[in-house]
Amino acid sequence: MSQLLPLFVLIPLVGLILSAFPTNKQEKLLFGTAITVIGLHFLTMIGFTASWIGEGFPDVHYQGPTLYHNNTTTFSIDLFFDRITMVYGLVSVILTFLVSVFSRYYMHREKGFKRFFNNLLLFYLGINCIIFSGNFETLFVGWEIIGVASFFLIAFYRERYLPVKNALKVVSLYRLADIGMLLAIWMCHHAFEKSITFFELHNLQAHHAAIIEQPAFQLIIPLVFLLVAAIKSAQLPFSSWLPRAMEGPTTSSAIFYGSLSVHMGVFLLLRTYPFWENNHVFQAIVIALGFATSIVATAISRVQSSVKTQIAYSSVAQIGIIFMEVGLGLEALALFHFACNAFLRTYQLLVSPSVLNYLMHDQFFHFTPPQHDNKDRFWGKIKLTLYVLSVKEWNLDGLMYRWLWQPLKRVGQWFQFIPDRWLTVFLWPVFAAGLYMVYHKEQVPDGIEHNLPAVFGAIGLVAALRAFTERNNAQAAWFLVIVNQLFTSLSIAFNEQFGFDQIHLFLSGIIVFGAVGFACLRQLKKAGESINLDRFHGHSYEHPRLSVVFLVASLGLSGFPVSPTFIGEDLILGHIHHNQYLLTGITALSLILDGLGVFRMYARVFLGPHEKNYHEVAYRSS
Amino acid sequence: MHTNEFDEHHVLQELMHFLPAQTPLKDFIHHNSLHALQHLKFYDAIFTGAAIFGFQPTFNLNEYRNLYKSGRIRPEVLAQILEQRKGRANVGIWTSKLLTQQYEPTPDPRVGRLRMGWKAAFHLNLDNLVQPLLFRILCSYLDQGIAIKHFPYENEGLLNAVRILETNSYSSFFNTKSAQKLLLDPNISLPDLLNRVVGDSALYEQYLYDQQFSHRGWSGMVATIEAQPDSILYSKKIALKDLIMLELVMEIDALNTALGEDWLPLAQRYPMAPIDLFAPSPRTEREEVLSLWQDAFEWNYYDEVLVGLKHLNASGPRTEPQQDHGFQAIFCIDERECSFRRHTEAVAPHCATFGCPGFFGVEFYFQPENGKFYEKLCPAPVTPKYLIKEHNVAQKRKNALLYNKKTHTFLEGFFWSLSLGLVAAVQLVVNIFNPKKHPAFADSFTHMSITGELQVENISPDDRENGWQVGFTVPEMATRVEALLRGIGMIDHFAPLVYVMAHGSSSANNPHQGAYNCGACSGRPGAVNARVFAFMANHPKVRAILAANGLVIPDSTHFVGAMHDTASDVVVFYDEHKIAEAGLAAHREHKLTFEKALDMNAKERSRRFASINTKQDIKKIREDIRKRSVSLFEPRPEFGHGTNALCFVGNRNLTKGLFLDRRAFMNSYDYRTDPDGALLLGVMRPLPPVCGGINLEYYFSRVDNQKMGAGTKLPHNVMGLIGVANSSDGDLRPGLPLQTVEVHDPVRLMILVEHDPEVVLRTIQSDPALYEWFANEWVHLLAIRPKTGAFYYFKNGTFELYEPLGTQTRFANDVLELIESAKEMETSHITDSTLENLPVHIINEASL
Repeated sequence: MSQLLPLFVLIPLVGLILSAFPTNKQEKLLFGTAITVIGLHFLTMIGFTASWIGEGFPDVHYQGPTLYHNNTTTFSIDLFFDRITMVYGLVSVILTFLVSVFSRYYMHREKGFKRFFNNLLLFYLGINCIIFSGNFETLFVGWEIIGVASFFLIAFYRERYLPVKNALKVVSLYRLADIGMLLAIWMCHHAFEKSITFFELHNLQAHHAAIIEQPAFQLIIPLVFLLVAAIKSAQLPFSSWLPRAMEGPTTSSAIFYGSLSVHMGVFLLLRTYPFWENNHVFQAIVIALGFATSIVATAISRVQSSVKTQIAYSSVAQIGIIFMEVGLGLEALALFHFACNAFLRTYQLLVSPSVLNYLMHDQFFHFTPPQHDNKDRFWGKIKLTLYVLSVKEWNLDGLMYRWLWQPLKRVGQWFQFIPDRWLTVFLWPVFAAGLYMVYHKEQVPDGIEHNLPAVFGAIGLVAALRAFTERNNAQAAWFLVIVNQLFTSLSIAFNEQFGFDQIHLFLSGIIVFGAVGFACLRQLKKAGESINLDRFHGHSYEHPRLSVVFLVASLGLSGFPVSPTFIGEDLILGHIHHNQYLLTGITALSLILDGLGVFRMYARVFLGPHEKNYHEVAYRSS
Repeated sequence: MHTNEFDEHHVLQELMHFLPAQTPLKDFIHHNSLHALQHLKFYDAIFTGAAIFGFQPTFNLNEYRNLYKSGRIRPEVLAQILEQRKGRANVGIWTSKLLTQQYEPTPDPRVGRLRMGWKAAFHLNLDNLVQPLLFRILCSYLDQGIAIKHFPYENEGLLNAVRILETNSYSSFFNTKSAQKLLLDPNISLPDLLNRVVGDSALYEQYLYDQQFSHRGWSGMVATIEAQPDSILYSKKIALKDLIMLELVMEIDALNTALGEDWLPLAQRYPMAPIDLFAPSPRTEREEVLSLWQDAFEWNYYDEVLVGLKHLNASGPRTEPQQDHGFQAIFCIDERECSFRRHTEAVAPHCATFGCPGFFGVEFYFQPENGKFYEKLCPAPVTPKYLIKEHNVAQKRKNALLYNKKTHTFLEGFFWSLSLGLVAAVQLVVNIFNPKKHPAFADSFTHMSITGELQVENISPDDRENGWQVGFTVPEMATRVEALLRGIGMIDHFAPLVYVMAHGSSSANNPHQGAYNCGACSGRPGAVNARVFAFMANHPKVRAILAANGLVIPDSTHFVGAMHDTASDVVVFYDEHKIAEAGLAAHREHKLTFEKALDMNAKERSRRFASINTKQDIKKIREDIRKRSVSLFEPRPEFGHGTNALCFVGNRNLTKGLFLDRRAFMNSYDYRTDPDGALLLGVMRPLPPVCGGINLEYYFSRVDNQKMGAGTKLPHNVMGLIGVANSSDGDLRPGLPLQTVEVHDPVRLMILVEHDPEVVLRTIQSDPALYEWFANEWVHLLAIRPKTGAFYYFKNGTFELYEPLGTQTRFANDVLELIESAKEMETSHITDSTLENLPVHIINEASL
């Protein structure tokens, strides 16, 4: 039975590949591909579930191919099936099927018809990677895929300003979650001294009681998982990304942000539940977070005057309650609640345009002017306060900017004083020296060698910060991202159990994709286009192919699972010792920043309103 | 610096005039999107508008050139346009300019240049800092019923309501105390705030335009509601000035936050000489070239129509003597009824059809039973003095469980989401695989109950409500009936049954559904008007007055109100029980006729719908069309007024036998009953604002769907039940969505009047407002001399003879075969989409 599990990932993968071939005008073929794939997936799922029930709900584990292996690290694609998988798998396949059928005529003649179905299948692949994952590495692959697919779906109307801006906003948080995930995996790795599978989790308490009782395990690891889950499920204080993700066609908003994507945090909590099933402090934290979110999100939802935002916050509120249910150990209820909430919100979003007609009609016959709160009484004042706060979404959106991104930008701007030219002049010799030292470690004094990882990591981080805040030259920013990657790998290379093959794997990706990206930017410049990063240029309008090539290069460079850089990313952290907190911090921050830098670069150069005004371009605010 | 030259009142008035005038979406009233420049000639207006606001006034050069290459613009038409406008000697030069010359892109629009200073001088994106919260406050304030908790003190005005919140809550919309203090200062004035932000009174006006046009959707909505407070049901006190002041304070707050409190006003950090936003801009050669292309594009079509007309009327006027008819039917002039009329006539050759604006000359407010508000049922500019009330409605309105707002609350939300979740899943499956009517969908037949009763006749002059008289008195009815019948030339040969056919449109999931309803009924279904008119025309006392005036309606004639749903192709008849026993059999037969015509109409429409196979069984097509109107996933239940281009004022015989592909408004008018044109003014007066308004709205929404239209409707988010935006933080999107206009070829409306050019000229000259439409070329006008059939085109104040260029006429034996041969567009780009519109055909008489 377990041999069937790979089908659940392979079917969407094959669909995704097939959907790349038809042209935008071949709507029937595109739709046919998508619906066949999802239909097939559905049938497989039904058949599998039936026999799984017949066998008495066993936990099914599939040991997949090992992508990378050495004495300390194993990176294998493992799959797993239990009742969490079953519920999530069924809900997602049913919803995706229905929404695909819905989209057939809904998306008819849309410029991005093909892009929509490509992204749908990409997203679907990602979500199934997560749902059927058997270990954290596989889950992480899915996690990254849905991050990127989300970026595409939010920025679906890439020729307008707000979708692109909001896509960047959301993907930045997703990147944070991704790296958080990576850190959590790293910590687990060190704790268990091996890559742990979900199959083993069920006996965790029995086999690894000692580990679980460690203080790090008591709080830090679960907290990192909770952070990741909270971001993905738009819990406090991250809730404000959800309404802003609803920029694409209503169908994609409905299925991804109304239902599937936003419940992935819950999935992660359910998966990691064995880590903390006896950890009452942490359970209390989860319950408190869920409770706080549901209260705040309800308050916000009550005052929302736009339909989709209202639904987004109501959904967040229910997910808060689901968090509480998970915290209380009510797995079955949480799963049921998830399914119901997903269906309800998808439906509400899909019909949201008809709200205008329904409520207008309703008001026509039943309107009664509402009473005002008494502003002179204390309770009335509290209500007014709550109203103001909720209209402002409790400042959540500003909060993200002020506490998360602005500090990074500030720090990045400190380093703007270094001219680009210096960087090139200065960095190459340093890198060359570093490289020499790696290959001739014996010549480096111990005291120095001990500090070198942090030094090189820091140089890399500075480069990433600059890339993240570069306002002028896209080529310089691209170069800085590469520099960051090179120095990061250098810093890891100084850690002892160092295998050149790993670094080479990582670097091969960087070099190939780096060069491709450079070539794209050069070609744009040669065509006389502006590529400064101070504004959006929307070059995908006139250079659609270049935009696709650059996108692939960007994904490769930022460690998306299309390139060896991805495995490298995982490995890099794997090589950091569990007590090298500084290096961990630096590396994680570098990874976050270069991902953001690359996305920002792609968005600024290729997306947004096209700078030439000989054709229709939307107003910035629309 | 203090303000002498800044005239606040004047600037605000002008600003309101220039902002988009679209009303809240519950009523969709088509209007010229560029109404503020209507005093200029068309091309001057659109290019000036483009220079000021930066929209695309026409297609771009490449698009026209591709249209030329594809044959959609014929060389001989282009040559004629060039010859007329540039002289024979220059045709060669201009042809090469049109075909090959490259032109510099247009400079940035005038509006927006000053506020660019914030970014240039301060590195600040003020719009990003201010707009999201501003829109949220504004939308919450104007919200008609989405939020569960409403904006408090909405009766105090926006600024005062915010002040009350700021004073009485422990939280604030502002980050800095100084900004809050400014807002709370009761003596603060607009110039004070502008002085702080801009600092130079010479730039105030320009700044306000920059600021308000950076979110023209919201500002336009505020200005519209200020001007027409009754355009929303839940009344909100609001003024554009309040919005501007609030926005300025929020800008100050944002600047304080970002720069500390001691920043310099914009004018000092970013000095700039004020520009005259509205200075006339000399026409550039590029603009000239574009206008020539647009003329060629338009005349390419008009000429084709005129060739067809010429052919049809070659053997003198075809206005045969009127005969007795099986039945008569009065339709709305709406171009969507053009095909329904054609098919009805084909099925029942002995019937006669007429066209008039779909409110049938009766203007009133309507109150459905238990309604808490009133609805206006007449053209938007008319202010009725009458109220029609509905009684004895048997059925109850159904509720939609899943729209329950309780799903958004905390505890109840918990139980609702647990219990409704699976219901939603089932509902979704049903909606997708077997679309059905649902209480949440717009259904034109629920506007008025089919079985309910209307109080049409006034009981006593004291029976008044809300300042309006309830019902019409007999003389008032007679005036209206007589005016309508004489206007359309229906003065004798009355058939036993006369159908008064209104129209409406049903659709699911469509915030713009009002745009598909009857434009002459303020964007609502016209059933009430049809029923009211039928009642009046059947009233014995009314008939007595008419007879005294020489208009004799025989006792054997009965008027029947009905309504055609243009999306689902369903017709419902009202008050059938009032038809005399003797007429019932005939009525049943006519109903079958309409049914058959509807089948054919559905088939004709289906050619544009990807989801329906036009060649399948006709009954199946009809069923598919009906399902489309209740399908959640169908963003195109119909195409509204898409493709409209012509407006005929004349006898039906003028166009009978011409296949116009649903592109013509048709207003009946008989020059023989009105030789001096005494009635013509009354007939023509509403046409430019109604049909021309529709046409121009489609024009602008089509040529620049992003800036003048609403863009694709797929990402739309309903804001406060008054409009749509793309994003949770986006500006409102006035105009028409892409899915409505993609079939539309943006040509200006041509009104063709069947009367002597001298009479037409005298008529339009007698009304300056009417005359302006034609003199400024917003609408083309052509007179057809009845005796000779010759065409006279109105240009520069006179009518000139126009001889059609084309020689080819296309013939079709069977309309439905022609329809089956049509191709569907591949993309909504104009070079593809225009190919979907079928050329004018002459339908062979035999098949009529």
